Amino acid sequence: MTSFRNVAALARRELRDALAARWFILYTIAFAVLGLAVSYVSAASAGDAGLSGLGRTTAGLVNIVLLIIPLMALTAGAASVASDRERGMLAYLLALPVARWEVLLAKFVGLGLALVASICLGLGACAAVVAVQGGGASAGAIAWLAGLSVFLAIAMLALGLLVSTAARKASAAVGVCIFLWFSLVFLTDLGLLAGAIAFRLPIERLFAAALGSPLQVFKMWTLLASDATLDVLGPVGVYASETFGGRLHALFAASLAAWVIVPLALAVLTLSRRSAV
Amino acid sequence: MRVVASILALLVVAWARADDLAARIAAAAPGDTFEVGPGVYTGPVRVERPLRLVGRGRPVIDGRGAHDIVTIAAEHVEIRGFVIRHSGDDLDHESAAVRVLAGHAIVEDNIIEDALFGIDLKAAPDSVIRGNVVGGKALDIARRGDGLRLWRSDRTLVEGNTFRDGRDAILWYSSDVLVRGNVVDRCRYGLHLMYSDRVTLEDNDLTRNSVGVYFMYSNQLTLTNNRLLRNRGPSGYGVGLKESGNYRIEGNLIAGNRVGVYFDGSPFAPGGEALLTGNTIAVNDVGLALLPSVGGNTFTGNSFVDNLEQLAVLGRGNASRNAFALNDRGNFWSDYVGYDQDGDGIGDFEHEPAHLVESLLDREPKAKLLLFSPAEQAIEFVGRALPFTRPDPKFRDPAPLMRPPAVAATKHGRPASLALAAAALAAVGGLIVAGARLGPKESTP
Repeated sequence: MTSFRNVAALARRELRDALAARWFILYTIAFAVLGLAVSYVSAASAGDAGLSGLGRTTAGLVNIVLLIIPLMALTAGAASVASDRERGMLAYLLALPVARWEVLLAKFVGLGLALVASICLGLGACAAVVAVQGGGASAGAIAWLAGLSVFLAIAMLALGLLVSTAARKASAAVGVCIFLWFSLVFLTDLGLLAGAIAFRLPIERLFAAALGSPLQVFKMWTLLASDATLDVLGPVGVYASETFGGRLHALFAASLAAWVIVPLALAVLTLSRRSAV
Repeated sequence: MRVVASILALLVVAWARADDLAARIAAAAPGDTFEVGPGVYTGPVRVERPLRLVGRGRPVIDGRGAHDIVTIAAEHVEIRGFVIRHSGDDLDHESAAVRVLAGHAIVEDNIIEDALFGIDLKAAPDSVIRGNVVGGKALDIARRGDGLRLWRSDRTLVEGNTFRDGRDAILWYSSDVLVRGNVVDRCRYGLHLMYSDRVTLEDNDLTRNSVGVYFMYSNQLTLTNNRLLRNRGPSGYGVGLKESGNYRIEGNLIAGNRVGVYFDGSPFAPGGEALLTGNTIAVNDVGLALLPSVGGNTFTGNSFVDNLEQLAVLGRGNASRNAFALNDRGNFWSDYVGYDQDGDGIGDFEHEPAHLVESLLDREPKAKLLLFSPAEQAIEFVGRALPFTRPDPKFRDPAPLMRPPAVAATKHGRPASLALAAAALAAVGGLIVAGARLGPKESTP
C-alpha cells in the first residue's frame, strides 16, 4: 500500500514536470501538426473514404507515429534518470524512504501518462480534422491506432529508461537513444530489405525477424486491426495470416510486451546496482 | 398421451398438405394460377405444365436434403413468394433449390436458404430471375454450388437478386443477358461470364468475393455503374478479363480489391472497343494489373486514387501498348506530381511514373513487408534524388487530369463516430493534463 502511494506521488511529480517541460510541448505540437497535415492532405484528395480498412489517412498517420513516437519516448526516457543523477536529484530521491524500483516505476508511469496525453491530443486533433472533412478513416481505425501508439510509446520509454539508468550523463543517454531511434526506424527495415533481396531469406525467417522489431510489430498490428489480414504485405503477410490467423494479435502483443518488460526489468536491475551519483 | 396424439395429428396434417401440394400441382390445368397459403410443405415439387405458383404468407417448401427441391420442366411457369430451403449437398448431382429446364420461366421474390445450387437454368431462354434472396450452404468453397447458373439461357433478365455464400453467379453460353441491381457477397466469383456475348452488367454490388466480375472468352460486354469492393480472395480481382473483347467498362467504383482490374489477353482480337472510362479505381493493392502481352485498351477519364501500386505489369515489359488518353484527355492519377499553369485541367507534364520502391517490389514481392514504413519513404526519396537509380516508367499518360472526374458514387466514412473518437481522445489527453495540474500541491512522499 505504501508502495502504491509512493509510486503515485512520485509519478505525479514526474507527470507534472513532463507536462511543463519544453520537450513535451514541442513534441506534442510537432506530432499534432504533422498528423494534421497528413490528415488534411489525404482527406482532401478524392473521396476514398471508408472504402478500405486502411485508408490513406491511417497509412499516413502510421508513418508519422513510427517516426515521432519512438523518438519522443526514447528521449523522454533517456533524459529522466540520467539528468536526475547529473543534478544530484537522484541522490536526493533515493535518500527518501522509497525503494529504487519504486522511483523507476514512478518515472515510467509518470512519463508514460505524459506520452499518453500527447498521443491522445495529437491523434484526437487529426480525427477531428478528418471528421470535419467527411471521412478518410474510420473511428475504429483511429482508436486502434491510438491504443497501439501508446503501447509502442511505453515500449520505447522503457528502452529509454534502461539507457538512462546505465548512462553517466544525460547528453550521452540522449545521444545513444537517438542512435537507437535511427537504428529502429531505418537500419532494421533496411536490414530486413537486404535480408529479403540480397540474402533471399525464406518468408518465415523474415516474419520472425520482423517480429523482433517493435516498429514493424506496431505497423503490422495496425494493419491487422484495420484489415483483419496482413495480405497487403505480400507473401510474408499472407504467410503470417494463414499460419497464425487470429493468434497474430497475441503474437504481436507478446512481442511489444517483451519490449516493455525486459528493458524495464533490466533498468531496475541496473539502477539497484549503481551508486546514486 | 394427448401430446403424442397432437404431434401425430400435426404430422398427418403436414404430410397430407405436402402430398396435397404435389398432387394439386400435378392436377392443375395448364395456365392456372394457384395460391399456396402459409405452412411448411415438403419437396420435391415438379411443375410440368404452364402454371403460376404464388405463395401467400411465405409458405415454405422444404427439400429435406434430397436432391432438387423445385423443378420447372415446362415453359411459362412462374413461381413467386416462397421460402425454398434445404437442398441436397451432393456436387455430383448438382442439387438445386430451383431447377429450370424450360424457357420463359419467372422466378421472383423467393427466399432460398441452405441450397447447394440456388437457381439453376438449363436451356431456359427468355426467363426472368428477379428479387430473390439466395443463401448457400456453409461449406468449404470447393464444395459449394453456384447461387445462380445460366446454361444456354439467352435473353434472360437477372435483376435485384441477392446471392450470398455461394460459389459463382455464372453465365455459360448465354447471350443478350441483362444483369442489373444484384448483390453478390462473400462468394467465389461475383459474376462470371463464360462464352457469353452481348451481356450488360449494371448497378450491381459485388463485394467481398474472391473476384467481383470475371469475363472469360466473352465479347461485346458492358459493365457500367457497378460497385466492386473488397474482393480479396486468392485471385482478388475487382474485374478480371480473360481473352475477352469489345468491352466498355464505365462509371464503376472499383475499390479495396487486391487488384482493381486484371487483364489477361484482353482485348483478344484487334478491332472493336476496349474502353475503360469514368471509373474510380481506388485503394486497391494494385490498380491495374496487365500481362505483358496485353495491348489495345484505352483508358480515359478514370480516377486512379491511392492504389498501393497504380499499375503493375506482371512480367517483363511495360504497358505502352495501351492508350492512356483519348482525344487529349487522360486520367487522374493521385501520384501525379506535375502542375497546370495554363489552367486547362490537364497537367502540363506527362505522367510517367517511375517509383523505385515499386520496381523493387515487382522484383521481390517479399519486400512488401516494408510497406507503410519510413524506410519505404527513404528508399523512394533516394530514387527521386538520384536519377540513375530511377527505373523505366511502366506507362505514359500524355494528358493527366488535375482533378478526379469522380462520377462513381463513393461511400463516405461516418464523420459522427469519427468526431466521437476525436472527442474521446481529446478527453483522455485533457484529463491527464488536468489531473496533473489540479492534483494536490504536495508532491514528495
